[in-house]
Amino acid sequence: MIPGFGSLMQDVLWCFSQVKGTIDVGVTEADIISTVEFNHTGELLATGDKGGRVVIFQREQESKNQPHRRGEYNVYSTFQSHEPEFDYLKSLEIEEKINKIRWLPQQNAAYFLLSTNDKTVKLWKVSERDKRPEGYNLKDEDGRLRDPSMITMLRVPVLRPMDLMVEATPRRVFANAHTYHINSISVNSDYETYMSADDLRINLWNFEITNQSFNIVDIKPANMEELTEVITAAEFHPHHCNTFVYSSSKGTIRLCDMRTAALCDRHAKFFEEPEDPSNRSFFSEIISSISDVKFSHSGRYIMTRDYLTVKVWDLNMENRPIETYQVHDYLRSKLCSLYENDCIFDKFECVWNGSDSVIMTGSYNNFFRMFDRNTKRDVTLEASRENSKPRAILKPRKVCVGGKRRKDEISVDSLDFSKKILHTAWHPSENIIAVAATNNLYIFQDKVN
Amino acid sequence: MEFKLEAHRIVSISLGKIYSARGQRGGLKLHKNLLVSLVLRSARQVYLSEPGCPPEPPPAAAAARPPEEEPAPRTAAWAAEPPPPPPQDEAGRDCQGPRPRRCCCGEENRGGCAGAPPPPHCPRKRSAGERGQAGSPVKKPRREEEEPPPPPPSPPGEQEDMETSNVASLISIFGSSFSGLLSKEPKGRRRPPLDGGEAAAGTAPAEAAAETGQICCDEPVLRTLNPWSTAIVAF
Repeated sequence: MIPGFGSLMQDVLWCFSQVKGTIDVGVTEADIISTVEFNHTGELLATGDKGGRVVIFQREQESKNQPHRRGEYNVYSTFQSHEPEFDYLKSLEIEEKINKIRWLPQQNAAYFLLSTNDKTVKLWKVSERDKRPEGYNLKDEDGRLRDPSMITMLRVPVLRPMDLMVEATPRRVFANAHTYHINSISVNSDYETYMSADDLRINLWNFEITNQSFNIVDIKPANMEELTEVITAAEFHPHHCNTFVYSSSKGTIRLCDMRTAALCDRHAKFFEEPEDPSNRSFFSEIISSISDVKFSHSGRYIMTRDYLTVKVWDLNMENRPIETYQVHDYLRSKLCSLYENDCIFDKFECVWNGSDSVIMTGSYNNFFRMFDRNTKRDVTLEASRENSKPRAILKPRKVCVGGKRRKDEISVDSLDFSKKILHTAWHPSENIIAVAATNNLYIFQDKVN
Repeated sequence: MEFKLEAHRIVSISLGKIYSARGQRGGLKLHKNLLVSLVLRSARQVYLSEPGCPPEPPPAAAAARPPEEEPAPRTAAWAAEPPPPPPQDEAGRDCQGPRPRRCCCGEENRGGCAGAPPPPHCPRKRSAGERGQAGSPVKKPRREEEEPPPPPPSPPGEQEDMETSNVASLISIFGSSFSGLLSKEPKGRRRPPLDGGEAAAGTAPAEAAAETGQICCDEPVLRTLNPWSTAIVAF
């Protein structure tokens, strides 16, 4: 295992490892990946799609015979997590799209994850079965009941090996707690509670209790006509079980402490950067809306993603971020077109690497970007079938902003805005990344020497 | 000038988004609609705050027509691209909006239009008519979702600007259906009374935008949204 800690981005050469999904020209909407998440050890990788399905990949054990194949991810389990529902009272269809998946830390042989659509969170247990009992007294091998009067002797059933079967069962269903669309779930570091956030409210749940939850944040105004902002993302602090943050559509982040009050409407910290008046446009409000917020693994920083930038904030400094990275500033002059085609509403996510030294986020044209916080260098890479030869090194891409376009550059107007990378994930301790490009999942690893 | 043009285009696009958001699977997205309403408000403010500029036709329609001085172009372009309806907040403030003007005009009291305080019964009648319309299916999704984002405040002064700059241009297109027109309307043009039918057609697009909490109070402008009103009333 090659540790990812302390590695500088320029030392890393990213190689193609695998791609999952079909190559069909027409993409079925249900196959579009809507969330990607590694578990805490990186052994499992889960994806959710618009069709309500969850697919879990498991990393195979590294083999001494094939050191090149550093643990490929193969399908471990597939199940239908959510189905479309109809709310008869409101005459609304509830989409089955999986908005988020979050793993619980492993505490026994089984794996547990939370998956959510717009309205309902479910706790799934994924467990292996590789033995089955044989030799029942009261039923025969096919499971049919025997006539008790025909039984002449008793035996003790024994466990015999069977082909490995991975089964996923819904252990809890947390429903009917959200009027608005759930955008985030986050497991608390106490491993007993988790929160779910919708546009206006955040609820705290206990894993064992499904028929009630605590409302800990409520920003719904008494008069809905006074609504000015909504909650866009929320996350618990990785170590302090009383602390969480939530981001808003106005580009602000609030940190709350659950010890202060039952209802955390008053924030403990308020993070906001003053607006740059020179950048004001019709769309300033839209592009400042935060689409994702993530604590660093250390818990000292938070990272936020808005439409054009990624920002890193120090929890101890509320008045401005400590770092701002431009993801695709060349889009700033195209905001009107992006508004027209709805791209301006795309919600990009962002992720930290295991050592919090590099951050990654997606862009258009199947590009994704990495920023090294120490060296301040950045790279643009592409997830495409053309670069999909095994262990092929990814070549850095460049967008030409104006003037003469060099041979390998791509001009802004040639970017394919239908190919967007909204969801990415980084292995917790290694340089392995999973990048969701519409209906395909790309896995890249750093080069093995 | 360019800003006004762009503002107008943005308003049209925003209205289109609000309208098409209704049929979306999974219900109205509060976040997106809030953002769209904010853009609508910004664009409207820019549109109204540019003084003395005649309203430009939208780019799509402007193909062969150069920008004109007041009055703005009187072609079907305006019908195709609805002029921006200024948002309106609660019904209480409707009285300060164009309603007084409408009412005044309806009462053939052109002299008293500009900025005159509204006769009390007129706005109430209008508001009641609108609220009656509010029971229509157009309003229902709003209640179900508890969703309308806030309407931006509409200073009365801006309403006046909107009226004076748009009136002449709108007249020619909408002819007799353009009831409730204002003092600037040329003599001899028939102003139909404010009847229920007119109110219905006129307020339907208002309610459509009211989906987002913005009641488009500028009725004359709204009446011009012929394609919109047809589509939205049908909805």
